[in-house]
Amino acid sequence: MKKLLLKEKWPELWALLAHEGPLYLPVEEGSVVLYQLWQEGVKVNLEAVNSTVSPKDIFLPREETYLRYSCQGEMLDLEDVESDEPIIAFALHPCDLKAIEMIDRVFLNQDPPDALYKKRRENTTVVALACRQPDPYCFCGVFGIDPTDAPGADVMAYLTEKGLLLEEQTAKGKILLEKAAPLLEVEADETNITVDVKTQDFGLQVEGLPEDLQERFNDPVWDDLFRSCLGCGICTYVCPTCYCFDVEDYGHEEGGERFRCWDSCMFGHFTQMAGGHNPRPSRKERVRQRFMHKLCYYPETYGEIACVGCGRCLRSCPVNLDIVQAIKALGGEKVG
Amino acid sequence: MSAALNDPATGWEPLIVAFCCNWCSYAGGDLAGTSRMNYPANVKVIRVPCSGRINPMFILRAFQRGADGVLVAGCHPGDCHYSTGNYHSRRRLSAFKRILEFVGLEPERFEVRWISASEGDKFAEEMEAMTGKIKALGPNRKMRDARWKSKSLSKQLK
Amino acid sequence: MEEQISEQTVKVKKAVSQDLLGGRIDLLLGWEKGHYWWQSRPLFARSEKDLERLVWDSFCAVNLSRYLQDELKENKKIGVLVKGCDARAFNRLLQDRIVERERVILYGLPCPGMLDYARLTEEGGSDLEGIIEQDGTVILQTKEENKEMPREELLLARCRNCMHPDPVVYDQMLFTPLGDRERPEHFKAVEELERLSADERYTYWEKELSRCLRCYACRQVCPYCSCLECFVEQKSPRWQGRAYQPSENFMFHLVRAYHGTGRCIDCGECERVCPVGIPLMELNRKLIKDINELYGHYEAGLDPEQEPPLLTYRPDDPAAFSEK
Repeated sequence: MKKLLLKEKWPELWALLAHEGPLYLPVEEGSVVLYQLWQEGVKVNLEAVNSTVSPKDIFLPREETYLRYSCQGEMLDLEDVESDEPIIAFALHPCDLKAIEMIDRVFLNQDPPDALYKKRRENTTVVALACRQPDPYCFCGVFGIDPTDAPGADVMAYLTEKGLLLEEQTAKGKILLEKAAPLLEVEADETNITVDVKTQDFGLQVEGLPEDLQERFNDPVWDDLFRSCLGCGICTYVCPTCYCFDVEDYGHEEGGERFRCWDSCMFGHFTQMAGGHNPRPSRKERVRQRFMHKLCYYPETYGEIACVGCGRCLRSCPVNLDIVQAIKALGGEKVG
Repeated sequence: MSAALNDPATGWEPLIVAFCCNWCSYAGGDLAGTSRMNYPANVKVIRVPCSGRINPMFILRAFQRGADGVLVAGCHPGDCHYSTGNYHSRRRLSAFKRILEFVGLEPERFEVRWISASEGDKFAEEMEAMTGKIKALGPNRKMRDARWKSKSLSKQLK
Repeated sequence: MEEQISEQTVKVKKAVSQDLLGGRIDLLLGWEKGHYWWQSRPLFARSEKDLERLVWDSFCAVNLSRYLQDELKENKKIGVLVKGCDARAFNRLLQDRIVERERVILYGLPCPGMLDYARLTEEGGSDLEGIIEQDGTVILQTKEENKEMPREELLLARCRNCMHPDPVVYDQMLFTPLGDRERPEHFKAVEELERLSADERYTYWEKELSRCLRCYACRQVCPYCSCLECFVEQKSPRWQGRAYQPSENFMFHLVRAYHGTGRCIDCGECERVCPVGIPLMELNRKLIKDINELYGHYEAGLDPEQEPPLLTYRPDDPAAFSEK
């Protein structure tokens, strides 16, 4: 049964949840919306469909410390950096959750799984928010995603005139709603909570595309597609399914740390080797890599295209070289 | 943080990095030394061939790694060993000083001075003056890397 | 007047097609429509068929001169459509010896400023269906009603600050020049920040820069960022760490801006492309303002023969520090 959280009680809920542990939700900062830690005074925006940067950084932070050490003479002290804090990820949209599922496969479906990622994932309670009105950039329908349903969430939330309707989907979700119980109304009007959200499809037809691409590594299409690419990393950093990272050390004689941080296949140094050789020497190879990874390599390994149609690359690419353009150039369009 | 560190009981002493040109200011520092003039041990001198050698990244790196103040010292305009190096650094460092202040650094924390090889007294005075100003300001946290020897911050130069 | 825009497109096409099809240029850099009416993206035209897609409308923000550095490696002669800012960018590249003048044909487009989709939806709502332009005004078409607004108020921030809409360098000017503009508020944002205390300014920048993703889009679009190896990627010494620490943010943004001292053409592309809305031009303009104050008025990109202020000096120059 769904329970109603009246609009005027939202801040109370956030204060209550933030008390339990880090609470991430969509925060408006000037012209951008980012999933950030809630604190008193932030401007929460639940109306925004797609945040500027995807919420993947709740699970795969831009920067995450593997280990921290301090030294005194010949003594080395290792500090425990793992945290057991329960995290709450609030108002993630179905496409972004689908993307988390894709990243899960990479970090969890292997032996051993990525320990830091696993811990964060297990410690997090996810509250998904159904979409009511799509952004002009949304095209999740192309990938069979229902913008009003997020099967992987612990709690499903729906925006209504009066507030938020909340429904538990898992045991974790039940615990969360129990904590919030004093703030929730018992009676909830459930009429019209999900609307038929129509996203556009750009005439795309992606079925069978991955198989088709396997033979097209040397296709002339790549000679043209990359030209407008500036070689920045926007597409990879705003993308909900990009997960590449690099590992770096920072140290001095008294201590230091090893951390991982986001990296982008659009950068020349991503594949630069110590001897100077670079197997992806120009933007052509890098653009091909990114789109082949999304449309061919990932599906080869995991069975589905690594795009959820969130539209962030359509919005943020400075030269509009986005995945829709790539799919179209590669022939992923409906015939007739 | 800064209040505690400003407390004389914690023994905070400022760290000042002085980039000195080889031909004038470094020699000026030498003269101060051979003339037995005193100047604060807070100043760490780094010798560079010319004030024109200063890359703004040197200055930022010093602040990242715990400098509370940075000074660039070179020959007086017209006296550059390389004829024009300091004329160029005057323009470059003026612009850089302004942008540092624009992002919030206190003006006293980054300075440029012209000190000749014969000005041992001026060298000592300038180091004394800069140290005094930085002491009054307290430790710098701006642009400092939080990971840099944070534990020893309070023990710095004790 | 959408009509007039397409008339303009026709005129542009006509001008360039003679050169492209006649073999005078191997490649034409122009724009074509993207997926949306509010997006025009770069077009690399080599044939008559490619040229059919060419447009010149109110969304051709991308600076095409930026592509010359790479494209000149593969093409003998290239034609480029240039707005006022793009032409200044070309001068920047000329001055840095990135391009050879005789290998490029510039088609000048006096530019009334490009429209900002964010501003359009701010005024017209998220269900904005389209716009109609009539000299100086824009009609925003929504489902319910139309709203008329002065065009000037709907421009990209960079265009609201533009003083030179006409290309300063060109081989052929395609339309009547619009004339220079006065922008009394050019340094307003900088001056407002200058009035704050040092601590307030630091807090402001620490917060603004905290959003930086280090995607380096600001660098990649920038006509003054043409170094073969950027300090960011230098391995030894390693100046730029990858951590998202405030100190690393300041290192990148201060050095990026500072490398543009006396070289930044004030086109605002960096700010336009920043996905997280960092006010990068406030840093760049601060440097422009200070150079003007200290070493005389200078506008980069206007005249490639004029020496950039940091490449020259006068013995009696003033300084921003005490010279006693």
